[in-house]
This record gives sequence, structure tokens and C-alpha cells, in this order.
Amino acid sequence: MLMQQKISPFHIAVLTYMAQAGIVLFTLPRSVADYFGTNGWLVLIPCFLLSSLNIWLITLVFRLGQGRSVFAILEQSVSKVLLYPFYLLLAGAWLIFGCMIGKKYVLVFQMLSFPSTNPMVFKLAIDVLAFLLLIKGIHSISKAATLFFWMSAWMILLLVWFIPSFRWERFTPFILQGGHDQVKGAIEVYSAFLGYELSIFLFPYVKKNNRSMLAIYAGNLFLTLNYLGLTLVCFGFYSLDQLKKLLYPVLDLLAYIQFPFIERLENLLYGLFLFLILITMVMYWWAAQITVQRIMPRLNVKILLFLLLSIAYCISFIPKTLDQVDVWITNLGYAVTVIAFGLPMLLITVLLIQRKGVTSHG
Amino acid sequence: MEPNQPKELSLEHILKELDQCADLHHRSFPELATDLVYFPHSVDNTLFIQELLEPFSRIQRSEVDGMLQQSQFVKMSEPKTAVVGILDGKVAIFHQKGVYLLDVSSPEARSVQPSETETVIAGPHDAFVESASTNLSLIRRRLRSPHLKIRKYAVGEISKTAVYVLYIEEIVNLQLVEALEQRILKIETDELNDGGKLTQFIEDKPNSVFPQFLTTERPDVAVSKLAGGRVVAIVDNSPTVVCAPASFFDFFSSPDDYYQRWALGTALRLMRFMALLITVTFTAMYVSVTTFHYEMIPEALLRTLAESRNRVPFPPVYEALLMEIMIELLREAGARLPTKIGQTIGIVGGIVIGQAAVQAGLTSNVLIIAVASSAIASFVIPSYMMSASIRLIRFGVIILAGFWGNMGLVMGLALIIIHLSGLTSLGTSYITPVAPMKPRDWKDVFIRAPFSMLRTRPSQTKSSNLVRQKNRK
Repeated sequence: MLMQQKISPFHIAVLTYMAQAGIVLFTLPRSVADYFGTNGWLVLIPCFLLSSLNIWLITLVFRLGQGRSVFAILEQSVSKVLLYPFYLLLAGAWLIFGCMIGKKYVLVFQMLSFPSTNPMVFKLAIDVLAFLLLIKGIHSISKAATLFFWMSAWMILLLVWFIPSFRWERFTPFILQGGHDQVKGAIEVYSAFLGYELSIFLFPYVKKNNRSMLAIYAGNLFLTLNYLGLTLVCFGFYSLDQLKKLLYPVLDLLAYIQFPFIERLENLLYGLFLFLILITMVMYWWAAQITVQRIMPRLNVKILLFLLLSIAYCISFIPKTLDQVDVWITNLGYAVTVIAFGLPMLLITVLLIQRKGVTSHG
Repeated sequence: MEPNQPKELSLEHILKELDQCADLHHRSFPELATDLVYFPHSVDNTLFIQELLEPFSRIQRSEVDGMLQQSQFVKMSEPKTAVVGILDGKVAIFHQKGVYLLDVSSPEARSVQPSETETVIAGPHDAFVESASTNLSLIRRRLRSPHLKIRKYAVGEISKTAVYVLYIEEIVNLQLVEALEQRILKIETDELNDGGKLTQFIEDKPNSVFPQFLTTERPDVAVSKLAGGRVVAIVDNSPTVVCAPASFFDFFSSPDDYYQRWALGTALRLMRFMALLITVTFTAMYVSVTTFHYEMIPEALLRTLAESRNRVPFPPVYEALLMEIMIELLREAGARLPTKIGQTIGIVGGIVIGQAAVQAGLTSNVLIIAVASSAIASFVIPSYMMSASIRLIRFGVIILAGFWGNMGLVMGLALIIIHLSGLTSLGTSYITPVAPMKPRDWKDVFIRAPFSMLRTRPSQTKSSNLVRQKNRK
């Protein structure tokens, strides 16, 4: 009775931010430096604007559809014969994308601390955590995301540690010089912003007001500020050439932190990033779950999740190395970006047709 | 197990129903044609003599009827009610013209004493006792309001224990009262003799290690919970009172916080949250660092630690679990033994563990510090129930850290958070005011703000009257 409340704007913002902040965080400063050269961090601003435009499309769906679920809108106008394969495609992309994010996190951790342990054991443990969270439903996911947020958000304050070593001299007056493959780079950098598109599935669980939609922008803005802070510190801490060569500049940055009683904190801090990764994975898997559930509404949620996560786990055996996982993430990143823009546009089209139909009937 | 329905309301049938009860007294007054049936242990002897025996010795047979017309004698019409009345400690009077019950009951009760489990330095020291009527009076004395409502239920097939549900009508969300009522009515048990037992029947997730209702022995806590819009349940024969709904963070506040300056209260409360972190992570961190992450130890400390670990033949996780189990055994032994012996056990155990275990090469000095700090930190948590739960989950975190180092530690924390996120207390979120996020409540959860700022009731109670009375215009 007292439980079935709508997800508040704050939690929507947290969910959006947590779904966005993922494994790309560790390579982002290198990517912007490598692909865009001097002052590459500036690229984050157009990425933010583009993602905000995408969020605007999502809010348009919300307004036109009056808060109805994506599935309800589609199924009103499109035949299920066409929709079900489409649903499967969407669910497949999200399922494997989420899975590869987890696999990459595990592989990096293995590289850091457990070179001799089979990474799939860690992957299984993380998948079990995700399963335990997913079976509790979106309300509990949003609550867990909030606790994870508070347990990980403080880490942004660690950037203050680098202020004494920060040099403005390392920023040149030249803008975006010395990059390469900028289209590929742009897509790769943009994939660091992905995750906000899943907020389109939150419509049935949020209050039907503007604040709910503003919260998605807020989550995206917070992420952008985090990214900007991090990349700025990296550009001021490393030289451009150093930054281009470092595989995981953020991990190297964390390795610099030392306290009198404890030093080389990077693997502990990297461990805390599990909170971010877990919610990113869970949100993609949740989207996959509710999409497949639309095809098989009678199947028990726990069984469905078990099946989906088992499939994802089996697929995660295929790429063995970090490089292979990166290729999967890049390719799936393209697909997820297309979905991020394509799905709202498709929904807007459907909604406009529905509206036109109602007007002509009237 | 309901008492059988005697066929009719007669002395023979009632005595037959209470057959083989050696403590039952049947006293006849043939000259008055009257019989008394009662359990003498449940009766206040002075009152019994004063109200019954003395008048009976003075009056004639014809006057008995008139005497029984007085208001304290309640006429029975159903045989079952008479049996229940006798079991309740009343005296049944069988007379030609009817059967009457006289309430001269006086169950044995402990006097009001200070609480031993929830001690405070400042503030009131009285604690609940086993008698529900005394407990109700302790609350009524503090809340002299006609809005304090009390509902009564009988729980337990055999015991028929009285359970009272208290709430302040104009503050409480009645949905909470009804939810609690529904759960109490659904309890199926033979007997119920404690508030702690009651919570296990009515909690949202009885299999969770975390207590979902706050239990207290202190009337001042119960009253502040009532005034905050919560519902309180009192079980007869139990000094433990149940407050619902409760949030995870409620278990970290002590009444002491409110009885001293707000700055002190705030500092202590923050220290308790730090204690929570220390309890859960300290030993696990030791295991994680000494097993997998030696690089985290500064060079100056590394030699000391290596020397300390040098003689220990086991992996750190075994060493840590051994010590943690020893500490738990000591704590349990200390709790079960009389106070004087308990102290001796503490000293002997401390020396054995602190000195001999290190000298024998069973454990390292540094681990002793980690385990002891972790144990001390767990005792800082004011609620014994929560402190015990956290000590238990700590073992899981240590084992995970033993498997996967820092990643295991973080996974353990994630598991705890996932579990907490799914918990509810009387249908409300267990981790409020963090999720759902209610920053307004933070000033009375994470800190203890000055009273001038504590103007609202906790939002978890879903009260329609969230603003405290004193600030209402």
C-alpha cells in the first residue's frame, strides 16, 4: 500500500547518471586526447549538447504519449508480428552491451590484482549481484542506485588531491590539434554518455510532470561536469603526449594518491567503481528484461532474468582479451547510439500518426 | 487451542473444565449456598480477604444476593467467559441466582528499574517491565493526551497474550495502524511472550538478518516514536516494546543524543556511522591487504606487519575468522554469565587472546588491533539487535575479502546495499531518508540538529501532520 510510489526526480537523476557512468570513464581522457589532440576535453561539450538533444526527444515522447510506456505506444499502432523481432533486437543489443561492460571491468580488475584468476569467476559473482538487484524491481534498483551513488560520488573530491600538481601550462592555446580518426573518436567519446536513453522506460514509474523530465537533464549534466572535471585534471596533470600513451590514465591518476597509513589505493578505489558499473549493467539488463517480458508476459520474472543473464554470461565467454572486448563494446556502442536516437524518433512518428488519426476521426 | 465450551454455566461443568489443575482452589460456603473458584497465585490476598471473605463472614444467606448486586461483581452469562475469567486471575462466585466474577487479580510483577541494555548517561532511567499495565502507565504518564489511542488484541492460541497497539490519532497515518493490526491478527502461534518474538511474526522480511522494527526497553524512546507518528506495540509479559515503521538509520540514534548539547549529539551520531564502517570493513580490509594487496601498506609499516605475520602459519582469512569467532564466544560468554564472572571472562579472554595467541604464533599483533577495533566499534551501535546483525554480516565480508581481496570487500558491501534496498518496514522503505531521498530528515538522522531546526516529523511515517505541533500556527 505505502510502497507503490513513483520514482522521484532525484532518483531519476541518480539512475540516469549511474546508468551513464561506466567503464569508459577510465579511458575517456586518453580517448579525447588521442582522437582530438590539444584541448580535446572541449569535445565533451558538443557531446553533452547532443545527448541533451536526445533527451529532449525523449521528453517529447513523454509529452506526446502522456507518460504512456514505450510498448503501449508502439503496440497501439504497429502489428506484434513486426514488433516482436524488433523487441528481440533491442533486448539483444542491451543485454550484450551490459554484459560486455561487466566483462571489461572484470578484465581490467584482473589485470590490476588477480592475473592468475579466471575472470569469468569474477564475472559470475558480479552477474549474481546484478541478478539479485534485478529481481527486486526498478523501485529497489533506484534505491540501491542512490546508496551506490553516495558511496561513489565522493570520489570526485579526490580530484582536489591533484590541484598542487595541476599546471595550466599544459593546456595550449591550440584547440583540437594533432588528433586522428575524429569520426570514430566522436562515436567512442559519445558512448561515454550513453545510458540516459534508458530513461525512456521509466515513464510508467515516474510522476507525470516536467520535473521528472528535468531530472534526466540533471543526471546528464552531473555526468558531464564529472567528465569535464576529470579530463581537465588529466590534461593539467599529464602532458598531452603522456595522456595519449597511457592505457588507463584514470587508474594511473588514482595510483598517485597516498596517505600516511595507506598507499597505492587504486585497486580499492577501482573496486568502488563496481557500484557505477553494476548500475549501468543492471539498467541495460532491466531494459532488456522488460522488453522480452513484453513478448512473454506470463513467464515468471525470476526465470526470465535467470535465462537472460545465463545467455549473457555464456556470450561473455566469447571475447577473451581486453582488445576483443573493446571491439565488441565499440560495435555495440554504435548500435546502442542508433537505438538512443532512433527509438525516440520512431515513437514520435508513431505518436504523431496516432494523433493525426484521432484528429481526423474527431 | 481454545478452552472447551463447558456445556452449561454451573459449578460442576466449570470444575470439570478446569479438571487436574492442582493450583485451582474451590472453596465452599454451605451456610451461604455459595462457592468460590479461583487460582490463589493470581489473586491479591489482601484484596481477596477485604472484598470477599470478610463480607461473607458477616452476612446471612439472604443478604448474599444483595451483596452480589454491587458493581464490582460482574454477572456471567456464558460458561466460556467464566473459564477465561478464572484463568485471568479473577474469582468466580457460584450462587443460586447466578455466577459472578470479581477482579482481585494481582499478577507478580517486577518493579520499574533502569534498563540494562539501553543505558544512557543523561535523561530518564526508568525502563519497561513485564507488566503491560505498568508499561501503559509509563507511556500515559508521559503522553497525557486524549489522542493517544490503544487497541488490544489477544495473540497465541494457548497463551492469549494481550498485545496493545498504541498510536496518536491525529499524527499517525492510519494505514500504518491497520497494516500492523492485519499482521497481528494473522499471527498463528501457541504462545507469545516477548516483543522480540512479535517482530519476527510481523516483519516484512522475517528471513533477513536486519531487524525491521525497532525494539526498545525505554519509555522515553517509545514516546518519542509515538510523537513522531509511529505505531508502538506492547506485548504483555515483555519489557520489549516494538516501534514501527523503522529505518536502518534509526538504529544508530540513542536517546542520549537528545539529552545533551546538539553539537555533542551530532558528533556522537556521526561517530556511530563511522563505527558501522569500521565494524564491517576493518577486519576484512586486514584480510584483503595481507592476502592480496601488500602494495597498499606504506613501506615504514610493511616491516612491522611482515614481522607480525612472520610466525603465523595460516592464511590471513583463517587467522581473522579464528579471532572473530573467539571474540564472539567471549561476548556470548560474558552476556550469559553473572556480571562478576563475566568481567573475569573478559579479562582472562583478553589476556589469552591478546598475549598468548600472538606468542603462540596463532595470530598477529596487527590483527588483534583490527579485530578488537572492529568489535569495539560494533558495541558503539546503540541497538543490540542491529549490532548483532552487523557482527554477523561482517563474517561474510571477511570471507569474501579472503577470496577476492578489495573486490570481495566491495562485493560484500554491494550485497549488503542490495539487500537493504529491497527491505521494507511496515511497507515503507527501510533505507529512508536516503532512498527515497528526503534531505529534510537528514538533520535528525545523520546529525542531531538543534531543536529549533527539528520542526518536522520523519517522512517515513507518511503522517498527514508532518509539522510538529509547537511550530503550527
